[in-house]
Amino acid sequence: MSSHTGLGIQDWRKHVEQRLQRTREFVTETEPAALAIVILSIGSLLTAFGGFLLASSWTAIPFATFLVSTGYGWIRHQALIARTVTFAMTTVTIVTLGLIVVFIFYEAIPAFQYESATVFGVSVPGLGMFTQTRWDAVTEPVRYSLLPMIHGTVMVTAIATLVAAPLGVAAALFIAEIAPPTVRELVKPGIEILAGIPSIVYGFIGFTVINPWTSTEFALNGGSTYLFVGLVVGLMALPTVVSVAEDALTSVPDSMKDGALALGATDWQSMTSITLPAAFSGVSAAVLLGVGRAIGETMAATVMLAGTQAIPDPVTNVFYGYETLTSLIARGYGSSTGVHESALFAAGIVLFVTVLCLSIASQYIEARMRRRLGGAE
Amino acid sequence: MSRTTETALVREGRSSYEGAAATAIGLSGVMFAVGLGTLVDVLEITTPVAGVQLSTAMGIVLLSLGVGIISFGLASRLDYVDTRPQPSAGIVAAIAFTGVWFAIGALVAGAIGLGTVSWMAVGLVAGAVAFAVTAFPREDIGSTLPAGSVAVLGGVALTIGVIGPGWEWVLVSYNATLFGDTAVPVVVMFASLLTGWAAAKAYGGFGTRGRNVGAYVLIYLIVLSILAVLVGLVAFVVVKGSPGLFHGFSIGGEQVISWPFLTNGASLLADVAGVFPALVGTVWLVIGAVLFAVPTGVGAAVFLSEYAEQGRFTQVVEVATNGLWSTPSIVFGLFGAAFLIPRFGNNKSLIAGMLTLGFMLLPLVLITSREAILAVPDEYRDASAALGVSKWKTIRSVVLPAAVPGITTGVILGVGRIAGETAPILLTTGGGVLPGKSAAPSVLGGFQLSASPPFVTNPSLLEATSALPYQLYALITAGLSGNIEAPQQFAWGLALTLLLVVLVFYAIGIATRYYFRKKLHQ
Repeated sequence: MSSHTGLGIQDWRKHVEQRLQRTREFVTETEPAALAIVILSIGSLLTAFGGFLLASSWTAIPFATFLVSTGYGWIRHQALIARTVTFAMTTVTIVTLGLIVVFIFYEAIPAFQYESATVFGVSVPGLGMFTQTRWDAVTEPVRYSLLPMIHGTVMVTAIATLVAAPLGVAAALFIAEIAPPTVRELVKPGIEILAGIPSIVYGFIGFTVINPWTSTEFALNGGSTYLFVGLVVGLMALPTVVSVAEDALTSVPDSMKDGALALGATDWQSMTSITLPAAFSGVSAAVLLGVGRAIGETMAATVMLAGTQAIPDPVTNVFYGYETLTSLIARGYGSSTGVHESALFAAGIVLFVTVLCLSIASQYIEARMRRRLGGAE
Repeated sequence: MSRTTETALVREGRSSYEGAAATAIGLSGVMFAVGLGTLVDVLEITTPVAGVQLSTAMGIVLLSLGVGIISFGLASRLDYVDTRPQPSAGIVAAIAFTGVWFAIGALVAGAIGLGTVSWMAVGLVAGAVAFAVTAFPREDIGSTLPAGSVAVLGGVALTIGVIGPGWEWVLVSYNATLFGDTAVPVVVMFASLLTGWAAAKAYGGFGTRGRNVGAYVLIYLIVLSILAVLVGLVAFVVVKGSPGLFHGFSIGGEQVISWPFLTNGASLLADVAGVFPALVGTVWLVIGAVLFAVPTGVGAAVFLSEYAEQGRFTQVVEVATNGLWSTPSIVFGLFGAAFLIPRFGNNKSLIAGMLTLGFMLLPLVLITSREAILAVPDEYRDASAALGVSKWKTIRSVVLPAAVPGITTGVILGVGRIAGETAPILLTTGGGVLPGKSAAPSVLGGFQLSASPPFVTNPSLLEATSALPYQLYALITAGLSGNIEAPQQFAWGLALTLLLVVLVFYAIGIATRYYFRKKLHQ
């Protein structure tokens, strides 16, 4: 990127001119009838989208127009319409992400306004959620602090990461480097299936088996513990760590490992001194994604936790489990209204932004690793 | 003595040494398994074994394992056996043992009842000694002595009953109590893990080969444990759920197969309460999500890998896709509740759930389809282009057919994942806790035409509907009770049904992958 703004604008202008030029060529080269169909199809799709956003009951008409015009175009000008429609489909992911951001933030505004706090005479909306620890939607003073739930999420995620990261990396090493082919063909789908067990089934087992067990085993008031929620969530995050880390490990070129083995190194030496360092960034990306999964895990936490919005005493008390951000939303949505409901959206923002940052960070790390290994090949 | 006889003697000593070390590895494995069994209450620590309680017996075994491990180290250090130890056990082992011994020191001091400062101090001293013992002597001592001592300490504590059946430690500030029947298995499992690793190193003769064996033993143990957990989980749900799932199941008679749990609703009139409405709800949710996400995802993958030039736009799409992939399911639920529900009649509805799950499925389909399309060799495209076939025709009749296996696998695995999702439909689809059979959505028969916009309506798409994962959640929050016989059994049957639905998708997905891969390699 150029730091010189004038040059940047010039570049941009040139870019736009090129684009215009290409569009003009495209328009002159294409049959007018095909062009008309494409314009009609895209236009009606945009109108339908707009109508849907405005919650208009007339949305059906442009949508039907889109279907008809696309269907007609499919018969007459298939190549062009295919390209257009697949382009429209490509934008869906971006649009979805954008819509998620817009709608969650929009719904959270009342809570941010309610929980304004003043710093140096400036009122900062939403700051009150992080400067005090009281969450109580019923009794006065009604406050919506997210800190207790952030604490819960941090506890669960920390324990889950302690489980998922070492075990996941070890299992990935096993699949990528150690296991004989037949064993690998058994273990790999096994771990995939572990990813498939629905979280509510984990939660159900936790609720009916683990919670009563911990309650008697540690003489607790109730059986909800961050310790065991963390263990269960760690088990659920494990497959993500395994599969991403395994991809990273197998992407290390064999030529690098062969060099070490030819020098008389043992398999373990070549793993610790060649494969793991070379794939280090990929493996850490895997752990980051696992952390993201653990943060976002909802149902097991909802079912197993007590559902009180408080910070346990002392803060490191893993034998009591109160609430995480995810379980707060799952438990509270539907029975809440007004600012309370809006505060749940605020919790959703904290979750969404954290996990999105983790995802982008891990993608960045992976891209860097691919570039480095690409150079080594 | 000639040199040849000496090496022969040493070798003989070595093979019995290896034998002893292998026995120690096996014994550690057995101890780990017994410890696990005690922890999950399959065994009791008070069970009599050879005249003593199990905890005492485990203590004796641990003690002898510990002594054995230390003597492996000494035998190697005093050159009774031919090993290849390195000058030091290495910094990783040193740090690990520092942590282990810090924890042991702190825990012991805390259990005796010392204050915070004292237990910290004891822990630090223990950690420092462990660091010195691991890092400074030769590897054979450094990796056996700290590990063996853990086992000896634990073994002594269990044997003389310092930690045993009656033991308890009240953690006052945590409002929790540690009892003997949790502490004993934890001590046994942890100590046997260390002895197993140390014995494996001794088996390999220390040095690089010893480290190799030690690491492999640990990794094999981890993978075995993961698989054991997986098998255990599935088996547990199958055992607990089968009575509910097969309640009233019969083959023959008027209908060929009668399976009331899957074909009945929940009502007082039905003999056997069933999950039919939720099952149908899940099926429709999956169909809706697939109808939305698969064409969109595959189309986008085609555009990204065949038409688009690599640049800013593809990068943004990639980041957005991966971002969507990792977005928590509850956030999708919030999004569906805020965006879709107001646009579909302002209450929870089947179609809102379909689209929400579709949004979740989209990135999965896109990522796997794109991989599948990129995996199609360029030679295919070139050959087609050389024949004068246009770009779109090449995509349609060469690239896509070649990519179908990968796409199918991805879609099936993705569907397996969303079929079990609860959080998004909890906020968007809802439904009753124990719906009767009439509550099952009849989407196909529900379409109606009308003169006013939106012209086509379908009430069953706009109604709150139950689905398997949601119903399980609703049952749990209702305290596993309801107007049915044996709600516990019903809930386990429901959990098994859900698990089977999801696992069937996974099994089909994985089987498809193998089938196509085999065909490819023929």
